Amino acid sequence: MGLFKVIAGRLYQAFLLLAVMSLVGFVGIHSVGNPVYNIVNIDTATPEDIRRATELLGLDQPLWRQYFVFIQNLATGSFGISYIYHQPAFDLVLSKLSATFELAAFAMIVATLTGTGLGLLAGTRPGTRIDRIIVAATVYALSVPSFWLSMMLILLGAVTTGWFPSGGRGSTVEILGWDWSFLTIDGLRHLVLPALALAIPNIALIARLARAGTVEVQRADFVRFCLAKGISDRRILFRHTLPNISLPIITIVGLQFGGMLAFAVVVESIFAWPGVGKLLIDSIQLLDRPVVVATLTLVALTFVVLNATVDLLYAVLDPRVRISA
Amino acid sequence: MNFTTRVRAGSLSVASVLIALFTAGFTTAAAQDLRIATSYKLMTLDPHFSTLNENSSLLSHIFERLVYQDEKLALQPGLATSWKRVSDTRWEFKLRENVRFHDGSPFTADDVVYTIERIRNFLKPPSGGFQAYTKGIASVSATDPTTVVIETVGSQPTLPLALSAIFILPRGTDGFATTEKLNAGTSLVGTGPYKFKAWRSGETLDLTRNDDYWGQRPAWSNVSFRIVESPAARVAALSAGDVDIADFVPARDVETLKQRGAKVESVPAARLNFFQFELGKEAVPGVTDKSDKAIANPFLDARVRKALAMAVDRNVIVDKILSGYGTAAAQFFPNGLAGTSPNLAPQPARYEEAKALLAEAGFPNGFKVVLNGPAGRYPGDGESLQAVAQSWARIGVAARPVGVPFSVFNTKRAAGEYSIWYGGCSGEAVDVCLEAVLKSPDNATGAGALNFGQYRNPAYDEMLDKARTVDAGLERDKALAELTDFVMGDEPIIPLYHFHHISGYGPRVTGYLMHPRGWTTAMQAKPAAN
Repeated sequence: MGLFKVIAGRLYQAFLLLAVMSLVGFVGIHSVGNPVYNIVNIDTATPEDIRRATELLGLDQPLWRQYFVFIQNLATGSFGISYIYHQPAFDLVLSKLSATFELAAFAMIVATLTGTGLGLLAGTRPGTRIDRIIVAATVYALSVPSFWLSMMLILLGAVTTGWFPSGGRGSTVEILGWDWSFLTIDGLRHLVLPALALAIPNIALIARLARAGTVEVQRADFVRFCLAKGISDRRILFRHTLPNISLPIITIVGLQFGGMLAFAVVVESIFAWPGVGKLLIDSIQLLDRPVVVATLTLVALTFVVLNATVDLLYAVLDPRVRISA
Repeated sequence: MNFTTRVRAGSLSVASVLIALFTAGFTTAAAQDLRIATSYKLMTLDPHFSTLNENSSLLSHIFERLVYQDEKLALQPGLATSWKRVSDTRWEFKLRENVRFHDGSPFTADDVVYTIERIRNFLKPPSGGFQAYTKGIASVSATDPTTVVIETVGSQPTLPLALSAIFILPRGTDGFATTEKLNAGTSLVGTGPYKFKAWRSGETLDLTRNDDYWGQRPAWSNVSFRIVESPAARVAALSAGDVDIADFVPARDVETLKQRGAKVESVPAARLNFFQFELGKEAVPGVTDKSDKAIANPFLDARVRKALAMAVDRNVIVDKILSGYGTAAAQFFPNGLAGTSPNLAPQPARYEEAKALLAEAGFPNGFKVVLNGPAGRYPGDGESLQAVAQSWARIGVAARPVGVPFSVFNTKRAAGEYSIWYGGCSGEAVDVCLEAVLKSPDNATGAGALNFGQYRNPAYDEMLDKARTVDAGLERDKALAELTDFVMGDEPIIPLYHFHHISGYGPRVTGYLMHPRGWTTAMQAKPAAN
């Protein structure tokens, strides 16, 4: 019964979040400007063309009625048709999801492994030279703007050395109706630079968290008991330290992963990576309202799912969470 | 899906993964493959959905038109070999023989009839932009498989020009093709030099050579477009050798590209960017005297307009802002194109004269004005607002430049929130802009579609109507040039510049022919000998 209550509460929260998100998105994009001017050719369109297009898209209706129609459509499972691409908006967003998902996943795996590794390395040797280097490097990595980092990666990794392509997605393989590029060598090569651009700030973030946690745990009594008991450093590190520092890391990985799925706008734009973030920014520029609302709703949904997953992982990793839940 | 098909689908995808893994390592671009990074996002595969270059440019590989415009904007035979006006309201087009669509079916006059009917009778807004081109057509019929007769509403001397915008679709067996059906890509056939292979909206378009093309055999066996909106990313892709051509290169990146071994071509665009005045109202927003008190619309006085035009330093815009990739303007199309006037040459800024004229008009101390425009839509748009505001400060006019995104700009302009703003016009011929920007607005005829400032000059309207009844040729060009002289004397707009279309190309291309309409196609690129 308790579990049911928790799930019901979650679903209610999620529903509320989605409703608020769609309203904010709808009103926000409406107040920016009139999408008709991006659909008709403003160089040749007559006022008559503009009037007819406005009526056909229902943009002549008052805003509350447009929102009502939108909610009605939503009830039948439709986000409407993209003004610009003339395809169902949600399908359009979904079709870009695999690109974003694999980019974010790739970047997050790299960031988690490297960041945790570096954090452990620094945290177990506080004050040493290697610790100081890692801490200093993370400061730089965190303060560099992502567009600059992306351009530098393109300059070094693509233009000067020619090792990796400068942008685009490369060849893909279709599995389960979605295109994946991590399954081909060409696709992997295309993935490296944008994934690095996303990963580098996160490596720094995770490394700092891991370092701080490690330093703290190393001082804890139980580590001294372990040492006294004669347990090897290695076993202490992986069996005792790592689980103890993993909660904040998992929180940040979950949040950052959600952020990447939703708003990797800068990196996706610079690397011409055809993902959700690029679609969102294109659609905002073109005032493609159905697509913007569909994207934002999907983003909200993603965060709900991710937060739930993070909570679940807490429970798995930390028995105390299980008791309190 | 039952179990066996699922297993089969699974093993198929495993096999395709393996094949992809093995082949991917070897797919370096073959000599006949052309890769283009374009800023044109292909929104749909329906060639009649939107009249924007965004679609027409890329779809012109697959579909063809009856008539073409060459680099001088002159008309050239396409799917029609010849055309003539048999009476005042009747045109006859002779079609090319032995042309086949990509599915093997022959191209006939019936396909032309179908195409025009689809645009006129079937398409609904927002995909109705092409109806502007068929408005003058009363009826269309096929008298034999290679002859199309078009009856027009009144005299339409520019009908071939209008048809140069319309892609010919094949008549299918089951009524009009919907946009959704064309977007599916399965039955996408034209008569063009390239066949459709694959498309992902906003990402890529892949084409293969049409070996049965009626014209010269296409040079490239495969063409792949990658849609890259960010100019920096296009430049990077070309620099890194990922693509062979990048279009719409920003002028500031030209030097870098050249240093990296790429070549650059440019051409003045057949378009004008200008400042337009609100001339339909006595009171306009954003205009005050120096003590912020509202004043009557100063632009109603032609001397004020002239003074402001005089005080624009176009050379600064062209040399500094556009890095030389722009042409100072005094009329709609660059000097020399059909219908332009040789008498109108851009003048250097004359501040003293402008100041005197402004004083004569009753503004010895100038006034304050908000100068509006889109930012980031056209090369040099936001920066030229700043530059002109600085120039105007020298004659006492305190202009506050405000640049906003294009969609916001359009909404506000339509709502009448501006008193002077940065506009643009392009078209198949110079009279398209003469009619759209300067003719008195008329909802019934669609004239003055871009005349947001309500400029009205009956004498000019009459001259333009008359000039547009003249058949294409020197006489028509002369009439258009004369009325341009006449109307520009009244200073209804301030012409600023014709920006240049700039494209860069790598070593696998030996030449790239630029078109003043700003199209990007594989047909413009000549392959390097291998």
